[in-house]
Amino acid sequence: MQVYIDILFWVRQKKWLLVALIYGMSMHHLVSPPADLNMAAYDALIIISMALILIITEPLPLPAIAIFMLFMQVVLGIDTANNVASSFMNDAVFFIMGSLMLAVAIVSQGLDKRLALGIIKLTGHKTWRIIAGFTAISAILASFIGEHTVAAMMMPVGLTLVRYAHKDPRKVAGLTAALLFSIAYGATIGSIGTPSGGGRNVIMMNYWTEFGVGTVSYLEWMKYVYPMVLFQIPFTVMILLWTFKPEQDNLDTAVRKLVVEVARSGKIRGREWLAIILFVLVFFGWVFLSEDFGLGIIALVGVFLYLAFGLVEWSELNRKTNWGVILLFGAAISIGIQMNQTGAAEWVAGVIISNLSQVIHSPEALQGSVAVLLTGIMSNILSSSATVAVVGPIVLDLGGDKILIGFATAIASAFGYFTAVAAPACTIIYSSGLVKSKDFLRAGWKMGVLSVLSLLGLALLWWPVLR
Amino acid sequence: MKYTYKIKPESLKFLTAISSSEYSGPTLGMGSLIASVFDASLGVVYVGEKANEFHGSSVNLTRKNLDNWNIIHPGLETLKWALKELKAYFPENVALGGIQFNADHVYKENGRVRVLLPEEKGCRVELILREGELVDQLRKEIQLEGYDLAIIGGSQNKRHLAHSIIQYLPSSILVLQKFKPRKKYKLLLLVDDSDATEKSVAWGALIAEKLGWPVHILTVSKTKRFGKGYQGAADMAKTYFDSMNIEIEQSFITGDPVSTFVDFAGDNHMIIMGASTLNPIKQLLFGSKPIKTLARTDVPILIVR
Repeated sequence: MQVYIDILFWVRQKKWLLVALIYGMSMHHLVSPPADLNMAAYDALIIISMALILIITEPLPLPAIAIFMLFMQVVLGIDTANNVASSFMNDAVFFIMGSLMLAVAIVSQGLDKRLALGIIKLTGHKTWRIIAGFTAISAILASFIGEHTVAAMMMPVGLTLVRYAHKDPRKVAGLTAALLFSIAYGATIGSIGTPSGGGRNVIMMNYWTEFGVGTVSYLEWMKYVYPMVLFQIPFTVMILLWTFKPEQDNLDTAVRKLVVEVARSGKIRGREWLAIILFVLVFFGWVFLSEDFGLGIIALVGVFLYLAFGLVEWSELNRKTNWGVILLFGAAISIGIQMNQTGAAEWVAGVIISNLSQVIHSPEALQGSVAVLLTGIMSNILSSSATVAVVGPIVLDLGGDKILIGFATAIASAFGYFTAVAAPACTIIYSSGLVKSKDFLRAGWKMGVLSVLSLLGLALLWWPVLR
Repeated sequence: MKYTYKIKPESLKFLTAISSSEYSGPTLGMGSLIASVFDASLGVVYVGEKANEFHGSSVNLTRKNLDNWNIIHPGLETLKWALKELKAYFPENVALGGIQFNADHVYKENGRVRVLLPEEKGCRVELILREGELVDQLRKEIQLEGYDLAIIGGSQNKRHLAHSIIQYLPSSILVLQKFKPRKKYKLLLLVDDSDATEKSVAWGALIAEKLGWPVHILTVSKTKRFGKGYQGAADMAKTYFDSMNIEIEQSFITGDPVSTFVDFAGDNHMIIMGASTLNPIKQLLFGSKPIKTLARTDVPILIVR
């Protein structure tokens, strides 16, 4: 009897794996591909839809899903083992690996205490100014060092302020939510600003290069996208204050206690200066050398320097880096390349365009709407970077200016305001246990409207000036 | 013939699952109360939501950084509250009173985090932090430590989880729905010819003896005729209680068992019944008396395995 219970329990836990397998086998063996789709492209689409089921429902660890995507390409004969292996590793994966390791190296320096003092000096004690400061600093920093790094550094500052504002954070729920969301949404709106703001930006750049669309430099990216970051900051502050209505107008006592706590760490030390200098070097490398060396390689050089100067131990990097995510992005980009090469992406794009062209007559409006809606919706279910890895090849085949469509897609992938799963910064504040899923919806829809309108403004008013 | 199953209270291990200081007070209170009267050891487990795997390392990195600011994991915060509550429940327990919660003294093992407490004689409390799906994590914890009884608060997801909790947790289960710690409940002991009845009777007698709650033994048959098995089980239950000098009331009712249990229990009983011995696949497809009863009643229910 116990054996039956164990089997039933396994089925309960792995039901979505079984669903994915049954779906995949049925589609491969029982359903013929559409006439205008070759078998390799059809199989690539089956693999990607199975992977999506597995990623969303998580019956398996991410590395297992990555391995599944890789071996299925070979088993179904889409490509040879060597070609799959070479499409698996590229500069975008190097960048994701490097940026995850840089995050560990930077966060472990304790620079967050310096950051806290800096923000307080800038903002003073008024609640709205602190929220504005948190949003602006998170956005600007995240645009260069990535939202996960910024959220990891800012969270303690935010939570310490909340703790000093009231013993029980639930009694100042509005203030708590406003402070934490200023970190999460600030980092999220900032993450689109430069290529190094998020792995998804680099994935899109990689697709542009891989599919022969062209190259975009670090500064060019900033020229196209950074105005949107700056434009959104004040409106985000207004949305947060309007939605969460902090209970206290002034955080005098909390700020004083925070300053006392932070002041205990003394003057900035040599190794902290070194950590900052190394990051500035990496930043300049991204700005001036990435076209020759690639963003990923430069990120890895940064990791090398942090290790060489003894600012971080390898054991710490090894322990705190999510190798599973790196594997998954490698595999997702690999299947994305197959979608492009087999014609699967073009076929999906064609189906979407032919079905929706009856509704939206202007080709540009149709391509832009599809890219933004598809990416925005999927990033709230999956994760922003995974969305770009999967959707990227399809939207680039929608037609129109592939660079602009790529920008719109990368930007829309940051519209994951509605759930805790989309953006790392949102997951991080959710893990505090002090914000609820419904808080994401309360503020998220307003942020969604703001971002869509900002993107529209950017595409209609700013990009035509640049092209 | 008579019931021979005996419980050795001093060797019992109970597990209480808590979710937050806001909602888990009654569950922790009942867990500590019955662990105390049974002289059982008590594990307190917090099962929190696991971060999305994509961002798991970023969350861990943040938590590590929060440690530097002395801001601890919300689950550890809840366990700290639980230890404080336990001390308040048992001011006379000197060993427990002497223990201080230290968030730095935690040990990661077997997919869980254990708060290290001094192993002083008389303490017998474990604080455990787990993250993931509730039933899966409780099952792993029970299998790992061999708990005899899992005590769970009634949640809004109860009906959705009823089947999984009963079918997959490998221990007896006490679900505290709308439980009021100061209320004196009556025990409603359901007796029939199933194999689990003997254990239910032993648990019911022990609880009645330790907590002083009145007992009502109920036997329900779908037909007017109560077979030998039903009659014999009811008689043996009465003999068992008589041997422990516990007074009981006893009823025989004809009707649909689950509806009768639920109606009879009203809002002032705690139901005790045996786990189903039906084939697990049949239970999955058609349900079982415990699953249906748990899904329909709002009173605390102990399902003995």
